[in-house]
Formats: sequence, structure tokens, C-alpha cells
Amino acid sequence: MGPLDPQNAPVLEGASLRLGRKRLPLRSGAMHYWRNPRDQWRAALTQLKGLGLPMVETYVPWGVHERPEGGFDFGETDPRKDLSAFLTLAAELDLYVFLRPGPHINAELTYFGLPERVVRDAEIQARTPRGNPVTLYFPPRMFPVPSHASEAYFEAIGDWYGQLAPVVAPHVWPNGPVVMLQIDNEAGYFFRNGPFCQDYHPDAISAWHTFLETRHGSLETAGTRHGRDYSAWPDAQPPRGWDVGKDLGQDGAIDPHRALCRQLDWAKFQEHLLTRAVDRMKRQWFLVAPPVPTVHNLSLGDGGLPASPPAMAEAVDLVGFDYYHAAGSDCDALRTIKRRTLYLSGTFGSGYAPELGVGAPPWFTPLSSNDSITCALAAMAYGLRGFNLYMAVDRDRWYGAPIDAQGAARPEADEWRRLLDALEALEFETLERPARVALLWPREYARLSRATHLLGLASPANLEAMNVDPTAACRPDTFGFEEPIQWAWWQLLATFADALTAANVPYVFVDSEVSAERLKSFDVVFAPTYEFTEAGRWSRLVEAAASGTHVVYGPQRPTLDDRLEPLDAAVGTAPLGDPVSVGSQHAVHALVHEWIERFGLERPYPALVVDTAVHRRGKAERSEASHVPGTGFGGRAPKEHRDGDRDAVLFVVNEGPARNAQLTLPAERDWTRLRDALTGEVFAEDPSMTRLTLPMTAQHVRLLVMETDADAAADTSAAETDHA
Amino acid sequence: MLSAELQFGGFDGARWGNLLSLFSPAETVGEDLLLVVDEQDVVLGALLRGAGRYPALLGQTLPPSLPTLCAQLGVRRALVLRDGAMEELAERMGAAIDTTDDYVTQLLTTLRVARELVSEDRILVWPDPLGAIPLPSPGAVRRVLDLILPDERAAVIALWTPPEPGASARTRRLWTAFVCRRREGAIDLIAGPEMLESWVGPLGGDWRRDYRVLCDAVERRVAPVHVGIFGEATTIARLLQEGSAGAWAQQVAVRNVVISPMPGPVVAALGADAIRGVGRASARTLGGIDFAKLLMPLALKARTRLTSNRAVGEILGFDPLAVLAAILRRKTPEEDTPPDD
Repeated sequence: MGPLDPQNAPVLEGASLRLGRKRLPLRSGAMHYWRNPRDQWRAALTQLKGLGLPMVETYVPWGVHERPEGGFDFGETDPRKDLSAFLTLAAELDLYVFLRPGPHINAELTYFGLPERVVRDAEIQARTPRGNPVTLYFPPRMFPVPSHASEAYFEAIGDWYGQLAPVVAPHVWPNGPVVMLQIDNEAGYFFRNGPFCQDYHPDAISAWHTFLETRHGSLETAGTRHGRDYSAWPDAQPPRGWDVGKDLGQDGAIDPHRALCRQLDWAKFQEHLLTRAVDRMKRQWFLVAPPVPTVHNLSLGDGGLPASPPAMAEAVDLVGFDYYHAAGSDCDALRTIKRRTLYLSGTFGSGYAPELGVGAPPWFTPLSSNDSITCALAAMAYGLRGFNLYMAVDRDRWYGAPIDAQGAARPEADEWRRLLDALEALEFETLERPARVALLWPREYARLSRATHLLGLASPANLEAMNVDPTAACRPDTFGFEEPIQWAWWQLLATFADALTAANVPYVFVDSEVSAERLKSFDVVFAPTYEFTEAGRWSRLVEAAASGTHVVYGPQRPTLDDRLEPLDAAVGTAPLGDPVSVGSQHAVHALVHEWIERFGLERPYPALVVDTAVHRRGKAERSEASHVPGTGFGGRAPKEHRDGDRDAVLFVVNEGPARNAQLTLPAERDWTRLRDALTGEVFAEDPSMTRLTLPMTAQHVRLLVMETDADAAADTSAAETDHA
Repeated sequence: MLSAELQFGGFDGARWGNLLSLFSPAETVGEDLLLVVDEQDVVLGALLRGAGRYPALLGQTLPPSLPTLCAQLGVRRALVLRDGAMEELAERMGAAIDTTDDYVTQLLTTLRVARELVSEDRILVWPDPLGAIPLPSPGAVRRVLDLILPDERAAVIALWTPPEPGASARTRRLWTAFVCRRREGAIDLIAGPEMLESWVGPLGGDWRRDYRVLCDAVERRVAPVHVGIFGEATTIARLLQEGSAGAWAQQVAVRNVVISPMPGPVVAALGADAIRGVGRASARTLGGIDFAKLLMPLALKARTRLTSNRAVGEILGFDPLAVLAAILRRKTPEEDTPPDD
């Protein structure tokens, strides 16, 4: 194991890694060394680098390296499993490495990359409310998923990390190419994340008790707030089904708000359990290996997942979303990409995709090459700054990667190469999409939506992964409030998003669990607020309002916290004023136009029917306050040569059918032409032109690079040099 | 029947999409309705596929007749879940699924659990796609698979792009292809066109000859081919989508589709298709005399003799493809291309 010297560790800065004096953009491509013949590694890695990717990503599969009879094979028997040789070859080819050692990796492996003896261990298996194993239904074999609370599981993970670390440590930067590490994979209860799917493992119940003690202060207070008589911790059982308003026998029906408090606690605990597990795994890894920045990825359906990205960002340095969307053929998919990416960029300052799907597994929704590249462009349009192309090199149980399993480039590799070249030339990781309006993503109401979900294992996250509103299958109860909050908040945010889009005002979503500092970085924050709210977010909104951010909330003034106890009066509401009326689309549109007038909100490159997103180089207003403590994102990536504020890229997104988009261009501009980075088409060369008609195919995204005469001259010079 | 060690590879995105497009269902008319109801049949949740939440039904009492409800709402099918049914399904799955079973057995177990809930009125479906059809046992599924693809044998589908005017035949490539192998009772390999092409090298461009090269390569690299289907993509796509009586047999008869080798069950299926086709053609050309009815007893006889790969004539007692080809010759002489097998 190498020296544990944090001074030499890579540092995450925005969407880049700082490696001493070098800045490495977070752009990588996936290749699974153990799935490719050893003699094809070099060809595949060379092609991967040739695409324009400076970094290769690979999982390290526990279940593949562990021998069934005991012991581990890191190439001693099977040369394809020689991880050390793979890392050495990457270094030789001047490729950095993003390593993902699990324990869970999925990768379409049977048992998701876990050893069979681990998934069969009853002490490790997650449990249903009645104590049955929780079965995951993916081919080629259904299996019981492990518990994120099981002590036996953590012990086994510690052993795996202990075996792996000596292989990896000599290759960690600066001694080797490994510069980033992912802890676990898609923490989300293995897609079995309905409100009562899991986890009722004895160790999870113990963790629930600790959680309640922290949240309520004592067993007695927890019992009072749950409306139950807890004389000892074993009495404080988690809900095993929906019981609000139900007659529970001799106790009769519990006061609905008391019963609801217990359900909300359970929904919050499910988030906490995942964060706790990832944090613990990270600590286990760093007990045995040198430090590098850590990442965690959340799966599709994040809008309905029992996971809190801001909380997860306290455990790891960088949290991102995985993207697999049929963006080239489905307008709903494009809207979902927009929603997800605006959330990432709003919450963390910019977005990162640990898996940006290129191709797919055969048992997933079919994705074409056009779907993949359209998805990438759409995500970048709304703030994705870094990504890992998954997969760059094809492999078993996958199709559609730009490089085939023999290490030869497929025809679609050309398009990816053009895109990656453009990103490199633009230093895309340093650009910014200015947004001065934030829509608050209310985590407490998202928990209520999950708790009231009616479809069990067809969970809110699974619905959203299919582009269905994750609140669509909530119970209709109002719980004594004005309206069913569990779906009202989602509709309200959608109404605001539509109004801002129609007005061509750039905006983002920001999680309600971000710091007050993050909230202060916006001119306007709208917070959906009903009769109850999480006390911490309310006080952060008050703090942001007190420092000058225009905080608007509604439709209700909250009187209760998310334990349904009276909201602490000491926090006060004075800086926030009264709730606004948001009862109609007209009222919301009026509010948006009031903000435009009052704050002089910019509406860059307005267009009808299509969406536009301009990205700038240089210092955006208020951005110095955008750092989110505990995360690598939000801070500005230091850049040696700033050109000052300048439009650099214009994305045009057409969700609908083929049509001509009509864009308005600024009369005064610091560029001389727009060039489509993928097709090479040139537009708007006439400096007097202020209306641009842009042909768009159906579900089409254009990345238009804003070029100056100097760029054109440089292009000509480069072309002449190439020709010579 | 699906190996835990399943290997899948050799597809680029386009050709995997091509393969799936062959089997994609036709455009459906009408939406699907999903309801969740409480013990008193009051609707707690309502979703319409394509439209999301359907608030108009919330709080309503479920009508006694699902077909009537579907007709009223203009939806083509409805699924009604009793509150908690999905949680119960998950519990019973967790208890019932043996993780050492293969995937098909696990799926059958899941279906059995779902059917239990249907029989307990916790789940209502209309129309019920399985209805009164008994669920097959894993053994029954295995026996069917034994007929279609015995152990240590491979199945191949290879489809070529249609010729382009003026282009060399050698530029024609596989539009898609699919090779699967059964080993130790389970499908353990699914290979796509890239893998197939890497096994055979450059092809001549005449698919009626190239298919033999493909079969030889599969036999060398995978296993002896038990059944192979070859043709131009447009022909197969049309057959799969239209599926009119006798269409398959007609295309096989004129060698627009080659099935080689042709195991017994395929012979019988083609024979039955040919009989329907002969009936249709003869009714048209012979003044309404339907030969299909005359030939049907022979088809029934064939069904009892499906124990081994036999020549179609041996099984049926006549060669329906020859009969069909003769009728077609009278109808479309330009299609009279004698087979070279």
C-alpha cells in the first residue's frame, strides 16, 4: 500500500480534477477489463483515448475476482483479471483511471457483481415486512438483495476492500493513474424501493431506533409523536404498511398526524440508511487505501428515490445521476433529462453523470445511437459538465458502445469524437449556464409522496424511470390539510417550470436540503410550501431572504414542522412575508413576469416552440457564493486564462416534431457565426441578422459553438496545416 | 432455461434495434387503466397510460363490470389492485422464489403468485391475457424447448439488407442476425451479427449461398445448427407483421426465405401454414373449393408424429410446399425459381 498522503491526493474542482498543476476534465469512458481478452486491451484503450477521452473508467467486480472455492484471482490464473496490468497499461497510454470497486456494481452481472455466497447469506439479505428475502427480478437470475444495514455485509465488504486495496494502492495518483473512486453503485435498494419493500433486517431495525433517538431526542418523545406507547426500543417498530387512519384493533385509530409522523420518519430513515451505508463503505475503503475524490451515482427515477443527493454529498465528494433515456425518440424523455439536470446543476452548481448511457443492456428499454447522443446533448444543454460514457468499449450483456469488443471503432464513434473534440476545444467543463431563478425541491413533500405511494414495488422511482410523474399513484388523502400535498407540490413546480420556460428565463431546481449560502446565490427562489415544512429548510429560506434573496413561497404559510409539531416560532417568517397565490396558471405566469421586471431577468436567445440554453465563459453574477459545503461541486473551477464574460455555446432543444425554430439573436454580439459542433453547419454569419431560422428534426438538440473571426482564422490555419 | 452464465454480445445499436423491430407489437389502439381500490371498492388511485393520474375516478366506487367501465372510458384494458396487493405480491415472491432455480422457473413462480392474488380477488384484470389457460410447469416448458432447440444445438436467424440498385452484391451486409445456443439445458449464448461476421469473414453477397457459410461457421464456433432462418430483412419483416395464411409457406416455397435445417416442429408449422395458404389460393383459383378443409385431417395426423426431424412429405404424407408452389406457378410464373437444395 502506498503512503497515505492527503497532500498528494487529486482535488475535485468543479467539473475537473486538479492533479498538481494539471486540470483534468471529468470526461471518461467505460471499459470492463475482465470482459475483454487481454490481447485486446491495448487496442480498446487506444481507441478510447482516440475518441477524446482522457480517462478510462472500470468497475472492479468482487464476485469475479473472488474464487468460489476461496481466495482471489487478480490475474494469477485468468489473465483477464489482472487489474494491476490493466492499470499499468492505462498509465502507459497516458490515460487516467476512474475506479469503481463496488461492492455492488450491477454491470449486468449475475448477482450484480456480488459473490454468490454473499447473496445467499441469510444474515446479509435485506428483509421484507414479514421477514422474507427481498428478491430482485433482473435476468439472468433473480436473487435476494443485501441489506444496507447488515453488519455481516459490512464485514464482508471490509474483507473485499482489504484484498483489493493492495492491488490498487500502487496505482493511485501520483504514483499511478487512479484519480477517482466510486463508492458502491446506484444506492436505491436495488430498484426494490417502494415504501414498504425493505429494509426490516434486524440491523436495520437497530439503525431505525438510533435514527429515532437522534430525531426525537428520546424513546418517550418518539412514542408521543408517533401516537404509540413505547416502553422500550423494541416497541418502536417501523411501519410495515400504510396505517394512517386505519383502526389498529385495541388501540383504535391513531391520530392521523401522529400516524403520519411515523410514516414520514420511515421515509426519511430510508434515505438516511443509504447515506449511512455509503459513508461507512467510504470509510472502510480509506482505512486500507490512499485518498482520492469519491463519487456516488444515483439511478434513473431520482425524483422518486428514497435517497437525498445533498445528504449523500456529505458522504462522498461528488454525487451524480445516471442517464439512460430514449431522448432521440421520446419528448417525455427530453423533459425528464431537463428536470434531472436542472436539479443537479441547481443543487450542486453543475452536473455530473457517472453513467451517461451509450448503448444499453439487452433487457433495458432499447436505446439507439441517436438516443444516446441526443441524451448527452440535452443533459449538457441544462448543465451537465462532466460524464462517464457507459460503455465506451462494448462487452458481454451490452450493445451499442462506440468501440466494439475487439477494440475497433464503430461508425457511431465519429459522432462522439466530434462532440468530444468540441468539448475539449471549448473547455466545456469551465463554462456556466447562468440561472438566477431557483425552484426549491421540497424533500419533505417528496417523502410524503413516497409514503403514500399505492403501487408497492412498482415504486415512484420506477414510475419516473418510465417518464411517469412519480407522484401519480399517491393516495388521495388530505390529512386535514387544504389539499393532497403529496401530489400538489409536483404539479406546482411543473407549472412554474413551464411558465419560466415559456418566458425564456433560465432557472434551476435546488434541493431544500442545500445550505443557506447556496440559496443566497440566486436572485429569486420559489419554495412550494404547505401547512407543514422541514424546520431547517424554513430557517435557511428565512436566512436567504434576510440577506437579500427574493424568496417567494406558497400556497400556504406553514405552521407545523415535518414531525407535525408546531413550527418553532423563534425562526419567524418576517423576512418572507405572506404566501403568494399560485392557484392558477395565470397567477404563476404573472409572478414570473413580475420577477422579470423587478430583477431585470435576462432572457437570452429567446425562441418560440424550442428551448434554448446559452453557456458562458467567465464570471457569472453571484457565483462566488455558490459553493456547497461538503461537495466538490458549486465552486468555480480555477481557470488560468479568463476571457471575461462571453457567450460560448448555444444549445437549441426541440422536444417536438421536425420544424423550423425561430430564434432571436442579440443585435450586439461578440461572436461572428454559429457552428453546429456535430454537423459542421454554419449559421448567422450575417452580423445584421437578428432572427435565425434553424431547421430542427424531431427530438433534436443542436450544440452551436459561437465562433469569432479569430476562431475562423485559426480553423483555416489548422485546415491548411492538415492539408500540408 | 436461461443460464446464469449467459453470454450476450456482438450487436451494435442499429442492428440490435433492427432485431427488436421485427418483434415489436403493432401499434395499439386505446389506453390502459390502472386502479387501486380499498376494501369497499372505493378508488384510491387511478392512472391512465399516457396521461398519468386520472382524477375523475378518485373516490368513485368501482363499477361491478370492468368491461363496461373500459367501454365507458374508452380504454382497451384495465388492471385493478386491491390496496396492499402489490405489497402482498412482493411478500409472496420473496417467500416462494427459489434463488437456485433458473430464470424461467422463477418467472413461472412469480406468475403463479400473481395468479393466486387474482383468484383471491386482490387483483382484477380485464381482459385477462392468461384467462383459464393453466400455467405450464417448468418441465413442460423444458419439453417444448427440447423440441425447438435441443441441448448442444444452435439456432440462427440471419437477415440481409435488400440489394441497392447499382451496388455490388459484396457490399450487402447483415441487417441483423441472432445466434443462440442451448447447453446443459439452458440458453447460454446469444450472439449478434458482429460476432457472426467475425467468425465467417467476408461474405460473397448472395445470401442464398452465404447462409451455408454462416451455418458452417456457427457449427464450428458454437454448436451444430438445429434450425436456421435466412432471408432479406424486408421479406421477414413483412411476414412477421402481416402473417396472412400461407404467407410463410409461400415465401419458403419460392425461396425468398430459406429455413435450413428445418426441424420437425417447424415443418409442421409450415405445413399447417401451407395448408391454410393452399386453401386460400385454391379457393381463389378453383372456384371456391377449399383444399384446407380437405387437408386438415392430414395436418392433425402430422401432429401425432412429431417425434423426430422428418421430411415434410414423410410427416404429412404429401409436400404442402410443393403443392403451394405449383399453385403459385400457375398464378405468378415469374416467381418460379427452382430451389437449388
